Order: sequence, then C-alpha cells, then structure tokens
Amino acid sequence: MFQIILVLFALFAIARTTRQYRKRKVSLHWFLLWNGLWALVIGTALYPKTADAVAGFVGVERGADLALYVAVVVLAYLVFRLFVRQEETERSITQLVRRIAVQNPERPDERT
Amino acid sequence: MTVIALIPAYNEASRIAAAVRDARSFANAVVVVDDCSRDRTGDVAREAGAVVLRHVINRGQGAALQTATEYALSALKADVVVHFDADGQMAGSEIPTMVEPILHGEADVVLGSRFLGKESNMPFTRWAANRLARLFTLMISGIGLTDTHNGFRALSRKAAQELTITLDRMAHASQVLDLIKVKRLRYVERPVTITYSKETLAKSQSSLRAFCIVKDILKDKFFTRV
Repeated sequence: MFQIILVLFALFAIARTTRQYRKRKVSLHWFLLWNGLWALVIGTALYPKTADAVAGFVGVERGADLALYVAVVVLAYLVFRLFVRQEETERSITQLVRRIAVQNPERPDERT
Repeated sequence: MTVIALIPAYNEASRIAAAVRDARSFANAVVVVDDCSRDRTGDVAREAGAVVLRHVINRGQGAALQTATEYALSALKADVVVHFDADGQMAGSEIPTMVEPILHGEADVVLGSRFLGKESNMPFTRWAANRLARLFTLMISGIGLTDTHNGFRALSRKAAQELTITLDRMAHASQVLDLIKVKRLRYVERPVTITYSKETLAKSQSSLRAFCIVKDILKDKFFTRV
C-alpha cells in the first residue's frame, strides 16, 4: 500500500515538474535533477531489494535507512544554502534602503 | 575640520530634539537616520536642526550608522564623524575630547569608555554583562578595551571609509572593533559619561539581549561568504 502511494506521489511530482519545464519556469538542470530524484524513488519503491543491495554496499543494513540518512544530509545542506541566501537578501535590502535614504536627504529647517 | 555627528534613531521623538541640539553645539552638522520610526522622530530631528535620512524599512542600528556615515563622507565631506546616541545618554560637550586625538593625528579611531575614571550610575547587571562582553571581544577580535559596547566613537575620514558596517543590528559594535584590528587602525580610549535614566534603560538593550549579539557575531564569522 505504502509503495503504491509513494509511486503515485512520485509520478505526480514528475508530471508537475515537466509541466513547469514546458512553461519554462524551471531550468533544464533543475528539471533533470528533480525528475531523476523522483525516478529513483519509484525505482526503490518497486524494487526495495535493490536499495538494500546499495545500502549493504555502503555499510548500512537496510535500504530504507540509507534513504533516510541521505535525506537528512541533503536537507541539512539545503537549509544551509537557504540560510546563506537569506543573509544575502537581507544585505541587498539594506543596501537598497540605504540608497533611497541617501538620495533623499531632508535638510534642517533654517528658521531654528 | 568638518566634524559631523551621526545619530541613528528609532522611535525617539521625545528625546531626539535635545540630543540633536546638544550634538549640534559641538559639531558642524548632525545627521539623523530615522530607522523607519512609527512616531515623528524624523520631523522632530529636522526641526531641531539635523539633516534627516529616512530608512523606508527598519534595518537596525548598525545599518543606520552605515547610512549616516556614507552620507556624511560623500555629501558633507566630513573629516571626522562621531557616533552619537539619540536618547540623551551621551554628553555633546564630550565630543571635542573624543575628536582631539584625531585632530592631533594620534589615532584613527577614538572609543568612549565608561570605565576610565568618570563617574556614572551604571546598574550592577550592566556592569557584569559588560565584563563578559570584554572577555568575549578579547577572544574573538583580540582587542583589549575597558569598554567594548560603548556607542560613543569618533572616526577619522580614513577610518570611516574603511570601517564598513555590515552587521545591521546590535552586533555592529563588535564588528567595528573587529575591523579596527583587521584594518590595523590606530585607536585610543577616552573617558565619557553615560547617564542612565529609567526610560532609556527600559528601551535599550537588556543584558539578556547580549546573547543575540553573540549569535549574530558567530553567524557572521562562520557562515558569511566574504
């Protein structure tokens, strides 16, 4: 049952990405990467034995465990990238705000 | 010699006028950066005789100081800039003492210190937090000071050009010290009087917020692409 849900979800994800790619909303690079990932999910869902074999090769007992470990590492990396990107965005906002401020100085009222 | 006082301000409508007038008596001009205040801070400052720059989005004290610095250097041709507070904790009459080492060519940066003899009514928790900050700064920046988070500073034109503050919020105070070391600027400390009132204590940093500052600094050291 779980396998079926997983496969259906993966197909759904692939369909969506393909549509986005057709509309030119995502790059080819991203399209291949993302669909490749989901194809891998379908593969492991249908043939769990292969995942176990790969897991055994790298020294993890079960394929499902390996998938989980890899997922954690990938997520940690993505969070880190987001973090750096966020920081850059903050800096850009500050620079923008600064430029607007410096271009529009308000001189003091001379009467005081 | 053009001496420009820089005042970052956020919701200081009730105190900014006095601070601007005080600073103006001892500086050639005063630049106030209104950091997107919700009250009339900017208008009040302008009426009191300051040039006002407005941040359209709140960016924090560090960002406001950097904005003021860039304007003072480019538009007002400042020879010396003085970091001053909006809330009347500092005394404008001490600006000449702060600027003096720069005029005599003895230093590029002059840092105010509350612990060099002058009396003030600092609460004990403040004192303790400051001691910790001192130790932390010594470890991180390798710079030994008697007072690490004093906002009263004077910078020569050269120093102001080199010290680019990129930490927008409160951690800029540590970043300034860091940059002094990195850029090999000559610095001295001068005693200043900081007057604590109930009102200003309630608003300014609580000693606990020190942890946020430490977090910002560490984040900057380890995660930022240079």
